Amino acid sequence: MIQLRAPLFITRHVLFALVAGGLGGIVFMFFLLEFDEFTSSNEFCTTCHSMTYAEVSYRQSPHYNSASGVRATCGDCHVSEGLIMATYDHAVGTKDLIKELFGPKYDDPVVNLLHLPEAAFAARAWFRRRDSATCKRCHTLEAIQGTRANTAAIHQEETEDKTCIDCHYNLVHRKVPDEKTFKREAWNRMVEEEFDLAPGAAAKLVAE
Amino acid sequence: MTLAVSLTRRPTRWSWRMLLALVLASTTAQAAKVELDPSNWGHPAGGDCVSCHEKASPGLAQQWHDSAHERAGVNCMDCHQAEASEPDAIEHEGQVIATIVSPKDCGRCHEKEFAEQQGSVHAEAYAIIAERVPALAHNLTGQAMQVAGCDQCHGSEVKVRGDGTLDPATWPNSGIGRINPDGSKGSCSSCHGRHAFSKAQAREPEACVRCHSGPDSPDKEIFEASKHGMLYVAERESMNLDADTWVAGQDYTAAPTCVSCHMGAAGKVPSTHDVGMRNVWSLNTPVSMRQYLIVLDDGSKLELSADQKPPRRGSEVEKADGTVAKVKVVAAPERRRAVMNLVCLECHSKTFTEGFMDQFDNVVELYNAKFGEPSSAIMAGLYERGLLTPLPFDEPLELTYWELWHDEGARARHGASMASPNHAWWEGMYLVGRNFYGRFLPEARTVAGDATGEVIDPLIDAGEHHAWLGQPQQANPILGYMPPPPPEAAPAEDAPIPPVPAAAEEPAGGSK
Repeated sequence: MIQLRAPLFITRHVLFALVAGGLGGIVFMFFLLEFDEFTSSNEFCTTCHSMTYAEVSYRQSPHYNSASGVRATCGDCHVSEGLIMATYDHAVGTKDLIKELFGPKYDDPVVNLLHLPEAAFAARAWFRRRDSATCKRCHTLEAIQGTRANTAAIHQEETEDKTCIDCHYNLVHRKVPDEKTFKREAWNRMVEEEFDLAPGAAAKLVAE
Repeated sequence: MTLAVSLTRRPTRWSWRMLLALVLASTTAQAAKVELDPSNWGHPAGGDCVSCHEKASPGLAQQWHDSAHERAGVNCMDCHQAEASEPDAIEHEGQVIATIVSPKDCGRCHEKEFAEQQGSVHAEAYAIIAERVPALAHNLTGQAMQVAGCDQCHGSEVKVRGDGTLDPATWPNSGIGRINPDGSKGSCSSCHGRHAFSKAQAREPEACVRCHSGPDSPDKEIFEASKHGMLYVAERESMNLDADTWVAGQDYTAAPTCVSCHMGAAGKVPSTHDVGMRNVWSLNTPVSMRQYLIVLDDGSKLELSADQKPPRRGSEVEKADGTVAKVKVVAAPERRRAVMNLVCLECHSKTFTEGFMDQFDNVVELYNAKFGEPSSAIMAGLYERGLLTPLPFDEPLELTYWELWHDEGARARHGASMASPNHAWWEGMYLVGRNFYGRFLPEARTVAGDATGEVIDPLIDAGEHHAWLGQPQQANPILGYMPPPPPEAAPAEDAPIPPVPAAAEEPAGGSK
C-alpha cells in the first residue's frame, strides 16, 4: 500500500504558512485587480488637480462623448490590459505622483500647459512602444469603416508598418505638435499670449 | 505732368538698360523652362502621399494626376517637404511637411518667376495696405471682414500658432500678397489653381477675376465690355491657351487676355511675373501719379511717384514693409509705357496705339485736375482746420470722398485704361461728376461753414474745369427745358413786358 506522505520538511508551520500565503496571494491578486481598476478610473486620475486640465479637452472629444454611448476612461487608453502590465504601468506611473508632489507646480494652469508637450511626447512614445495596444481594445483595424467612402480602404491599404498613434495623435487632449517639429519658443509665446504674461515669463517658468 | 517728363532724363539711361536686359534675358521670348536637373525632384515618399490621398482627397489627387507636374515626375513631397526648423513645419505620416507651399518653395524650380514676382506690386499687395486696413475693415465693419474680404485678395500675414497649427484668422488664404511663414511674399496659387497648375487656366481672364472685379477695380467687367473681351469670347477656340509657349502675335492673335498685356510674351517682349511692370499710372489713389519702377539691389522692386525726383542709383530707399534697400535701376514711366506699347503693336499700328494711350492719359489727367486734386486739397484743408476729425469714416463726407476716388474714380480710370466706354463714363466719370457736384461739394461746404471761402471756393474757381457753374443761363435741352427765345426787338408799346429771367444778372456760382 502506497502511503502518500508529505515530505518531512512540510511541518505544520510550513503548511500553515503555505495556506496563509496562498490565500494572501489570492487576496492580494484581487486587491491588485481592484486597485488597478480603481486607479484607472477618471475619478481617481482627476483627484490630482493637474489632471483636470487634461480632462477639459477629453470631455470635448468623441472618446468621452460618442453617439453610441461607448466611453473610454483614462485607464482604458493609458493603462495596459492584463493584471501584470496594468500593475507595471501603475508602478511606473508613480513617477507622475512623485513629480506632482516634488516637481513643478503642475496645478498651476500656466505651468501645466508649459510642460504639456513633454507629457504628450512621453504618452505618444508609450503608445508606440505598446503598438497602440490600448486603442486595439476597442478598435479593430479590419473592421474600421468610417463615414467617408475610402476610410476603410485607407485603413486596409495604407497602414503597413504603422500603428494607430502614428497617424491618430492630438485626438483627445490639447493639440501639441510632433516632437520633431516642436518649437519651444513658439509654444512659450502661445502660453504667454493665452495667459497675458510678459514676454519671457514662460521661459523663466519652464526653467524653474 | 511736364514736371515728370523733365525729371526723367537721368533714369532714362538706366531704364533703357533695364528694358534691354529684360528683352535679352529671355532670348526666345517665352516662359522660362525649369533648368534644374530632374534629379532635384521625385521625392521617394511621394508615392505614399499619392496612394493615400487618392482615397482621402480624390479630387485633389486627380488634379495632380492631370498636371504637368505629374508628367514631369514632380510629386507632393517635392513641393510640400519642409525642414523641421521651419515655423510651419508639421509631422505628417512620418514626413516633415508644410501645408503652405510659398513662392519661395515654388521658386526652388521656378527661379525666374520667383525672382520676378518678389517685389512686384502683387507680392506687396498686403504690405501696401496693411497699415490702412484697420480704418476701413475693422472700424467700419469688423475683423471678420478683413479675413473674409481684404485678405482673400491682398493676402494675409499667416500666423503659425504655438501648437503648430495655422491661425484660422489668417489661413486658408491665397491672397496675392500673402506674407508666408518663410518670409516670402505672395501666393502662386492665387492665379495658378492648385493642384493642376494648368497653363491654360492661368492664361484665362478668369484667373484674375476673383480680385479684379467689383466696384473699385472692375477689370473683369471692363475687359468683358471691351472689344478685347468681346473678341476673346468669340474666338476663344483659337486662343491656343494650352500651347507650350504663348507669345502674342505668334502663338495666338485672336484677342488678348489680362495676361497678354500685363505679363505675357509679345513679339520680342519677354513674359514677366512682375504684373505691374508695364503700368505707368497709379490708378487706385486719390490722385493718379505716373510712377517710376525702382529695382533694388536685393531683387525687390518699388514704385515711386514721378512727381518726385527719382532716387539716385546706390541710394537707399524704404520699401513698403519698412525695410531699406539700395537702388539698382530706375525705369521711368515712359519706358514702362514703351514696353506696354510693344505688346499693343503686335496687333495695332503705332498711331492707333499712341492715340489710344493719349485718350487714356487724357482721362486720367482730367480726373486728376478736375476732381482728384481739388477734392483731396479740400479734404486736407478741412483736416488741417480741425473741421474734420482725423479719424477716418466717422463723418459722412469722408465716405463720400472715399467713394469719389476709390470706387467711382478708380472705375473711370480703369475703364479708360482698357477701353470700356461704359465703365469710363456711366460707371465711372459720370458718377464722379455726380458725386463731386451733387454730394461732395455740398457736404464739404456744410462742414467748412464760414471757412468755405478759404478752403473750397479758391479751388473751384481756379482754372476752367468748374467755370461752367458760372454760366447758369447757358440752356440746353438735355433735361427737357428750354427757356423761350428772347423777345424780338422793339415791341409794341401796348405789349406786355416779357418775363425776363430774374437770374440773368446773378454772378457766377449760382449752384454753390
